[in-house]
Amino acid sequence: MESTSHPRQSLWGNLKENARLYIAAFIIVIIAEFIGMKTFHLGSALIVIYPMLFAIVISVLLGKDILRFFTKKEAKKASSLVLVVITPFMAKVGVLAGANLPELVNVGPALAFQELGHVGTILLALPVALLLGIKKEAIGATSSTCRDKDYGLICHIYGSDSPEARGALSIYIIGFLIGTVYIGFLASFVASFNFFHPLALAMACGIGSGVMMAAASGTLATIYPEYADQIVMLAGASDMLSAIVGIYFTLFISLPLTKKLYYFLEPKLSGGFPSFLKRHKVKGGA
Amino acid sequence: MAMNMRNWTLSLILTSVVTTLMANLIGNNVSITESIPGVLTLSAIAFVGISLGKLIPLKIPPIVYVVLTGMVVASPISPIAQPIIDATAKISFMAPITIVGTLAGIGLDFKSFISQSWKMVIVAILVFTGTFLIQATFAEVFLNVTNTFE
Repeated sequence: MESTSHPRQSLWGNLKENARLYIAAFIIVIIAEFIGMKTFHLGSALIVIYPMLFAIVISVLLGKDILRFFTKKEAKKASSLVLVVITPFMAKVGVLAGANLPELVNVGPALAFQELGHVGTILLALPVALLLGIKKEAIGATSSTCRDKDYGLICHIYGSDSPEARGALSIYIIGFLIGTVYIGFLASFVASFNFFHPLALAMACGIGSGVMMAAASGTLATIYPEYADQIVMLAGASDMLSAIVGIYFTLFISLPLTKKLYYFLEPKLSGGFPSFLKRHKVKGGA
Repeated sequence: MAMNMRNWTLSLILTSVVTTLMANLIGNNVSITESIPGVLTLSAIAFVGISLGKLIPLKIPPIVYVVLTGMVVASPISPIAQPIIDATAKISFMAPITIVGTLAGIGLDFKSFISQSWKMVIVAILVFTGTFLIQATFAEVFLNVTNTFE
């Protein structure tokens, strides 16, 4: 009665089976915290690196594919624990929202409106994907930020063997490692132009991934200490909104839009730059 | 998903609770005894939220219930709002997140990560850039039009 996924696993069984994972994770956190938060200037942008990013790097290195300190089974268990350990962080976001409720109500309409900005996944990415010669994978890849729920949805619609699902899976996998690092840089970079209000940037942090939201809003909170609590609160509220409406948004708005745009652009851009430059060497409209 | 609440709680204590205490000590110089009430409060809110998610048969991610529970107990209508806000204020926003990165990193399928083509990496970066920039633009425009900023 001691299989990992067994719902009636005893407490002792849980402890015995995962002790190595718990202890190793504990040590990794301590090392990452001792490295500490690093900030440096890159041009006019303040780049902030949180211990979380060091923790990600260390644990990926120790993972089952590189140094093989962790077993496949432990990797699987670790993945399933992510949803458990993110909850206190989300509780913190909720408390900040409750404590600043009047303000949250005040910006509520803006918060709802900016959710529509999730169509932004398509606008830059789809044309470039087509120019790079990516086919139907592009539909899955650019219709959303491809977090768990979106990937599930694409699999449900197209089947998990479909090119669309392969594309979404690619973004899902790349998103965690590169996306988490990148989104913090992007937030710093965009903030350095002083074009957007810090609270507008905070709302943009709701990407549909708690880890990415943390990376982006943590960076912004460091750049704008006077807005720190509001930034975290709004980023959290925006992320929560994405979590609630995100899948419907993908299903009813962004996926149909992506498909329309794909069939419109694909004949024009397919085959990548060379044929695009040779003017519409149309390759059958898919 | 198949995890009962007893195992859920044990897992939470052995991962998030202990590491958040340490992270808040090392990263923010808040002593462990000072952090305990806040960490336990956050964990309790998480527990209630996840339990609600199991009881309420709506197709909403359980995380949402956690945020909503935190929001309700810290809102002006809650009689315990102030102690909750005070206790959790001692816990830095980033302290509970280091363990999330750790476990997500351990669970990462690195093999399929490096098997991705560079083309998809470019697409991924544009996907995140696009959604961030357009959301920020929409928020900025809306806030300016409605004059939400003083």
